[in-house]
Amino acid sequence: MRYLRLYRQFLSFSFSRSLEYRLDFWFRIIMDCIFYVVEIAFFMVIYQHTEILGEWNFDQTLVFVCGFLLVDAIHMTVFSNNLWWLPIYVNKGDLDYYLVRPVSSLFFLSLRDFAANSFLNLVIASGLLGWALMRYPEPIPTTNLLWYLFLLLNGALLHYTLQMFFLIPVIWLHSNRGLTNAFFSTTKLGERPDKIYPKWTRRILLFVFPLLLMAAIPARVLFEGPSLELVALTLGISAVFFLLMVSFWNFALRHYSSASS
Amino acid sequence: MNPALFLHLMSIESRRLLSYRVDFWITMILTLIVQLVVIWALWTAIFAESGKDIVAGWDLQGILAYGVFVFLTGRVVRGGDLQMAVATEIYDGSLSRFLVYPCNYCFTKYAQQLGNIFPDIFQSVLMALLIIPFMESSTTVDLNLTGILMCLPSIFCAHLLFFMMGLLPQMVAFWADNVWSLSVMMRMVTMLIGGATFPLSLFPDSMQSVLYMLPFRYLFEFPTLVLLGKVGIEEWITGIVSCLIWCGFFLLLLIPVWRRGTLRYTGVGI
Repeated sequence: MRYLRLYRQFLSFSFSRSLEYRLDFWFRIIMDCIFYVVEIAFFMVIYQHTEILGEWNFDQTLVFVCGFLLVDAIHMTVFSNNLWWLPIYVNKGDLDYYLVRPVSSLFFLSLRDFAANSFLNLVIASGLLGWALMRYPEPIPTTNLLWYLFLLLNGALLHYTLQMFFLIPVIWLHSNRGLTNAFFSTTKLGERPDKIYPKWTRRILLFVFPLLLMAAIPARVLFEGPSLELVALTLGISAVFFLLMVSFWNFALRHYSSASS
Repeated sequence: MNPALFLHLMSIESRRLLSYRVDFWITMILTLIVQLVVIWALWTAIFAESGKDIVAGWDLQGILAYGVFVFLTGRVVRGGDLQMAVATEIYDGSLSRFLVYPCNYCFTKYAQQLGNIFPDIFQSVLMALLIIPFMESSTTVDLNLTGILMCLPSIFCAHLLFFMMGLLPQMVAFWADNVWSLSVMMRMVTMLIGGATFPLSLFPDSMQSVLYMLPFRYLFEFPTLVLLGKVGIEEWITGIVSCLIWCGFFLLLLIPVWRRGTLRYTGVGI
């Protein structure tokens, strides 16, 4: 309950802060909308030249892409701003202020800033997913849909977890621009249907660097039904990665040497 | 601007970029691996599932070569990490010191931007040398020395155009506090309709005719097509001239924006 009350305060501060920069507020909304258009346009062009891609037709791919956009919007709204600041806090020594507070430092640093402008994009991304689902020609069982939405939420958490693995090394490396750029490049692998990858690449993207669990496998659950294997795989691997990330964070904090580290 | 000063600024910027070598190499190697995996998987699946041998004038090996080289040339065209430098300097007031220097601000920034691309050129050439032996021959592309020589001026013109196009959204910082999203918008749009994602010949015909009238194709698609031997001499000269005309067009847009912006600038961040 204490953490929920704290999060409510975070939300309140974040909305006030975002309205200080009104022009930026609208720029960011337009930026995300352009991102959505570019992502959808990419597949619209690709499907001019093939009817099937990774075993999916255009309607299925559109649902998959919109699912990915929703995961991205959740990430942008809830985590992105916080993760942007983390390396700066480490290098300036400002992390100290977060470590001495009587709450989990990971909770505070990951959730303090709620991107209110991206929240509007979250609504737009949800609308796009709703539109993609409505125009999908086959009937979708409610169970599949509920599992799908749940796994997308899990995908957003997994996105955060994976990004943290690329951010935490800043405590040793001092600059993490290379790793951050690398992370944003690698997320491209999760923006494509999973079945386009050959077997060994797919396994790596499921078990070693599980980007396919963010949107592709949830989409497969939606189209093929919630098999125990797929659901257990998604939730199990996500849980393992989250626990590993928390351990990595705690390990890294033991090596954090404060200001100018 | 004094040429010696211009070269000195370039040199400083190149050395600055190399000061974080781990970052420099991690970014390059991981993004290249991802690019290779994505384009290889995507295009192999498209050719296999469509049952076609040629898609929009490209065979599989040809479009894979396009994907690799547009990535390598695109890195040089985009150049380093100065995409937000101007906006940041306007925002935090550090533009003031440039205004009192006895040299033109835009030339200074361009010298820095050029300095940024030399390490990128080195990396791109190195990566190309590593990849080329593994590339299979294609019936739709012809990688040869003439193409490589013609490509170099095309890349430099594209780089200049990208720099000038990038300045416009950054100068909005004279009027707005935070404009990084404008630069990101421009980057996303240019990637798709500039041919960095795939060749523009894949777009529907009606869209292609519009896209070929815009400046974006000269950023990524044109230098790559030149490199892959898909552009004849006449078309190449026309392309270079068109690219320079677009540079002139953006320069004409930039001058009044800069003048009005500097009149409004208060240096309040310092």
